[in-house]
Amino acid sequence: MLVNSIFAGIERWPLSVWAREDDYAYFVALILHAWGMAFLVGAGIVISLRGMGVGSGAALSAFRGFLPVMWLGAALAIPSGCVLLVAYPAKALTNPVFAIKFACLIGAAMLMRRLMRHEVLPRNHRMLAALCLLLWLGGVAAGKLLLHTYHMLTVS
Amino acid sequence: MNVDPVINVTAVAQWGRDSGIYGLMTTRWGWPIAESFHFIGLCLMFGTVGLFDLRMLGMARGVQLRALHRLVPYGLGGFAISITTGLLFVMTAPEQYLHNPAFLIKLSLMLLAVLNMMLFYAIAARTVWLTGADDLPPLRARFFGALSLLCWLGVMTCGRVITAYRPPAYFWCPWC
Repeated sequence: MLVNSIFAGIERWPLSVWAREDDYAYFVALILHAWGMAFLVGAGIVISLRGMGVGSGAALSAFRGFLPVMWLGAALAIPSGCVLLVAYPAKALTNPVFAIKFACLIGAAMLMRRLMRHEVLPRNHRMLAALCLLLWLGGVAAGKLLLHTYHMLTVS
Repeated sequence: MNVDPVINVTAVAQWGRDSGIYGLMTTRWGWPIAESFHFIGLCLMFGTVGLFDLRMLGMARGVQLRALHRLVPYGLGGFAISITTGLLFVMTAPEQYLHNPAFLIKLSLMLLAVLNMMLFYAIAARTVWLTGADDLPPLRARFFGALSLLCWLGVMTCGRVITAYRPPAYFWCPWC
């Protein structure tokens, strides 16, 4: 099968072999991924809560100062996530929960951008912020479920 | 193998079974759902408390610390979720946790973070509430913020280490 041969090809990449076989590589990537997700989703949750009206007394636009925290989170989570993905491509890419995680995180990031882009908030900003919060939480939950829902680890 | 006179792992395991927690956690979705809530709680806590700490360290000037502090109760709610789910893990598989150095360091860092928070409220909070939206709080408040941030990053790291490093009790039990 073509897909399996692609997975097998990725599994032969030096980065993939190193991530699987080195004593620390996979493990360090997991720690960095957890840090990155905590920064990214943690800040996302706070900005969503503020968008929903919690913590009145500070304008939502002032929370733009925390966007570098989210960028830092993404800078940690994305490369480490790529290492985890390259190590076991079949494990992630044959699991629908992985697609759900991605859809939630991309949806949350797009809604966050919409909430933070303008000085004047969209009229339905509370609903958007609540949806954004749900998507951040959904992304986290799906990420944790990945470990328990995969069907195959490697093809080679 | 030495016997632990302080922590009775067998008794904790028995308590987990008698209370029904072991049965619940070993169903198909028990452990995965608890894990999801554990990290959601951590994100809530780390988001609210961590951003408050970062604001104390000078980030996001323009956000009033007092206003940001109104989000902290949500973080405490997240912390309660994490503690509850964490207890479920320990009661289900105490042998994986109670003699694990990563777990013991994680508990120590959590204790340090809570003590740091109590000292913050006792010593520095009053001056922080008076800090203007664009100002930096006093140095001692920034110290509490930095220590809190480091503690929670350490807690997260230890949480990940627990899953991979599970030495036998005789390997790490100074009091045995």
